[in-house]
Amino acid sequence: MNVPDYNKAVKTNGRMSRLMVIFKKEVRDHLRDRRTLLLALIYPLLAPLLVAGGLYLAGTTIQSERTAVAFDVVVVGADNSPLLIEHLEAHDISIVVKTSLIEAKKLVLDGHIPVGLVIPENAEGEKRFTVQMLMNLSRVSNLRLTARLERVINILNAELTKERLVEAGLEKDFAKPIKIKDVSVTRLPNIAVFFYNMMPPLIIFMIFLGGVHLAIDTTVGERERGSLEPLLLSPVERWILLLAKSKAAVLFTAITSFINIAAFYVFCGWAASLSKHLDQPPAWYMFIAMFVISIPLMAIAVALQMSIAVITRSMKEAQIYLGLLPLVPALPGMIMVFKPISPGAWDVAIPVFGQMLLLGRLALSESVTIAQVLTATVSTSIAAALIFWLAARWFKREKMFLLG
Amino acid sequence: MIKMQGLTKTFGEGKTKVTALDGLSLDASNGRVTGLIGPNGAGKTTAFRIVYGLLSADSGHASVDGIDVGSERMEAQRALGVLPDVRGLYPRLTAREHIRYFGELHGADGSALEDDIDDLIKRLGMEDFADRRAKGFSRGQELKVALGRALVHRPKNLILDEPTNGLDVMSSRSVRDLIKEMRDDGHCILISSHIMSEVAVLCDDLVIIANGHAIAAGTPDELRQQTGADDIEEVFVRAVIKEQGAAI
Repeated sequence: MNVPDYNKAVKTNGRMSRLMVIFKKEVRDHLRDRRTLLLALIYPLLAPLLVAGGLYLAGTTIQSERTAVAFDVVVVGADNSPLLIEHLEAHDISIVVKTSLIEAKKLVLDGHIPVGLVIPENAEGEKRFTVQMLMNLSRVSNLRLTARLERVINILNAELTKERLVEAGLEKDFAKPIKIKDVSVTRLPNIAVFFYNMMPPLIIFMIFLGGVHLAIDTTVGERERGSLEPLLLSPVERWILLLAKSKAAVLFTAITSFINIAAFYVFCGWAASLSKHLDQPPAWYMFIAMFVISIPLMAIAVALQMSIAVITRSMKEAQIYLGLLPLVPALPGMIMVFKPISPGAWDVAIPVFGQMLLLGRLALSESVTIAQVLTATVSTSIAAALIFWLAARWFKREKMFLLG
Repeated sequence: MIKMQGLTKTFGEGKTKVTALDGLSLDASNGRVTGLIGPNGAGKTTAFRIVYGLLSADSGHASVDGIDVGSERMEAQRALGVLPDVRGLYPRLTAREHIRYFGELHGADGSALEDDIDDLIKRLGMEDFADRRAKGFSRGQELKVALGRALVHRPKNLILDEPTNGLDVMSSRSVRDLIKEMRDDGHCILISSHIMSEVAVLCDDLVIIANGHAIAAGTPDELRQQTGADDIEEVFVRAVIKEQGAAI
């Protein structure tokens, strides 16, 4: 057997090339990993699908509210107010006459008819009377039809009021001293705003989830498999090792985020286009801006993932902590969906929160300034670097491979 | 050449404090196979981990070819090839990719590296599985990949922890032959093994370790003479019993 010349000197290589060797290995390794690919390619589609689905439903609901769709109303005592019955029928409401209240209630309860009306016997010839609405709001669609019935009755109410005021010698608007005219100051004066507001926290959630499997697998996972020890025997600085792994995790996070943001643009655009009552989502370049603004978030997300992964004792423990991690930065954004805040001048300087505010503005097609973007980028990048520095220190500890 | 001088190492504090090494010294020379043997928990793995730069000693020094591991870890690691007890492969990389990865980490690249990889694959009998992913490899196949990984940067010094653990007879013999060839080529080889017959066949020098320090050292013949025992297993047993008696 021919023994090779082991005495031949092997050239030493620089930090950059060692970093690239590890980076390329991690990328190749994880491109072959089904779990990483699932997380990178499929997961980012789910939230946009959900939001677009909600947007679509909202659009169809508004559409059907604004186009008069005929529906049935069961009426007990129809003979007591022919005027009301005639008015309802003139507004595309079909009357199902019943004499028994029990029977009418059963029809509504069983969902055969969305809403019922009980006209009292004393309605005939009376100027004022009370009708009862038999409601079944356990079905969402009934809510809309019940509200419409109420609106149609109120139209008659308004007409009768005007007639009676004129009869009494008063102006027809006498009973309405203050009129209301809506003037919206936002570009998106409808329900779509609510859904577009959901994008920033969901984008941030995905950023903190995108590289999580790689972060776990390349640190605590390596320790569990026993491959960390041979790797640490290589003449590579520990921080270079962690940086190379972090860069691979950032790459997968960036791919995940890009798919996520692109899916929001495509799916929400599609859902909004199906209803003329919904405003379109922001333009494509706003989504590009969202991706660019998110880059420091990817760095801090991976730095946090790495720092947690290197101090946990097992993959299971790391999965528990890192599974909860995305909720922390996404939570303020979720609260802001329901309770928007007006950010102060320096709020964008708060790491992560700054990006959340900027993404929120872009999601509503509002402008952001270069100064705001730079402030948010610098602050989050500094925070990411500090967290990575801590992770690198922890990675150097003997405990790193003795744990477990 | 691998040297350990007065290595001490403790883990934990207070009641959980464990002394893993207590002044261990040994010299492993070039062109010789030195066996570090001892009962479980004697401190062998800790000593190895200090030499290859994974742990730092509380006191004492370790060096590889005169390079101090504590102060010049990476330089020492370049001169060292290690087969750890836990082979630790990446399940989604092929055997060839494993060897290439570690070669590149040591600075090798290009056609020279590819030639070396081909040569190692041939020498270690890995042709059948060289381009298969490591998931599902037998222990023998894992060991060969780990050996290839340890040898790819042509180290002058080798630490082999249980080099034939889990191998069948033919594979064990082939690994032993490889170790002898490298010794004849002038390499410094430090091994640890619980298989006394293997130690007897392979080792030119032996260091018996217990309670974190060397309790006997010398060539197999010298140790036989010192203890009056016929074979290495008996030498080991007598030395350890004597140490335990002294400790009590």
